Amino acid sequence: MRIKPTNTFLASWALAVIFAVPPVMAHHSFEMFDMSKAMTVTGTIKDFQWTNPHTFTFIDVPNDKGGVDTWAIEGMSPNFLGRRGWTKHTLNPGDKVTITIAPLKDGQKGGTFLRATLPDGHEMVMFDNPSRLQPK
Amino acid sequence: MPRRVQFAFQTAILGLSLIAFAPLESLAANAAKLPGGAWDSMSKLPDMSGVWEMTFGRGGFVPPQQPSLTPKYADILKAFQAAPPQDNPSANCVPPGMPGIMGQPYPIEILFTPGMVTVIAEAYMQVRHIYTDGRGHPDDPDLTFNGHSIGHWEGDTLVVDSVGFSKDTPLGMNMGVRHSDKMHIVERFHLKDPKTLEITTTIDDPEALTKPFARTISYGRHPDWTLAEYICQQNNRNFVDASGKAGINLQH
Repeated sequence: MRIKPTNTFLASWALAVIFAVPPVMAHHSFEMFDMSKAMTVTGTIKDFQWTNPHTFTFIDVPNDKGGVDTWAIEGMSPNFLGRRGWTKHTLNPGDKVTITIAPLKDGQKGGTFLRATLPDGHEMVMFDNPSRLQPK
Repeated sequence: MPRRVQFAFQTAILGLSLIAFAPLESLAANAAKLPGGAWDSMSKLPDMSGVWEMTFGRGGFVPPQQPSLTPKYADILKAFQAAPPQDNPSANCVPPGMPGIMGQPYPIEILFTPGMVTVIAEAYMQVRHIYTDGRGHPDDPDLTFNGHSIGHWEGDTLVVDSVGFSKDTPLGMNMGVRHSDKMHIVERFHLKDPKTLEITTTIDDPEALTKPFARTISYGRHPDWTLAEYICQQNNRNFVDASGKAGINLQH
């Protein structure tokens, strides 16, 4: 597990605050997450729940005891993501991925999903380029 | 099956079919009589039907002016802010009601039928029925999340008047800003251009507000979208309890 505040984090989060906080606010507040922190978890996808009101990604992350910890990462809904390039097949059990999250404040192994680097190196973000939200 | 039984069965089915279809026929007959309600006259209305979503970052989500609260409701807000819950009831899948349901980050779909405009909100799968058949509000409406809505046309603008709101819902985005059972909402639906719908919402409440509170939201048309299912209880792992404490269930 690596904890690494990233340089692009603030910029991307600024966009998220401007354009995407309302989506998340629609269901619940960010109070439980430490939005000042970005950390990455690298591991193997155990399950990707393509469900409302949130997607949930379970990822097995190697720990320093030689085993794995399962992290639970809350993401935007299929309704929101499905209109922004994601599908139920974007993450698959067995995929080796790196996910950037804002972790839970209470220290549990979980957080809110910011973006992921897929096995093919492609990056998927939860909060898309705002121009994609404009009507055609 | 013995013939007699079969006959009785068929007769029963026929009878049920007649009962089932009778209301449809009278509905169609009524629709033709509704003021401005016949199907053929509907083609003259501005085309607001279809799927729309708030335009983010282009005036779609501008923090509105702050409502001007009466002393009693200002005290309610102050008490709320002194000990705010960690989350909103929506964390438990409680829909926001009006006016919040019209400001969600999920699309809405507008349907026109004779005598009625229907607004379907994808968020929480909410439905608003706006009666445009000339009826008034009930004298003593039951209080509901989305209220009782009637509409009429002023030129190209659909004017929707709603009353009868449950006090369980907030007046706006801030859960601490409450309203009384006398809240009254007027929405003006207007096509700014064929791809942009503007809804100006004006709220008055003689008990909660010292002056009306207004906001305008613009929505972009998405002709290639359809509404998706949104069952909030499907996999809701968030919660807020009666004491205001929020949490999340991480179990796989």
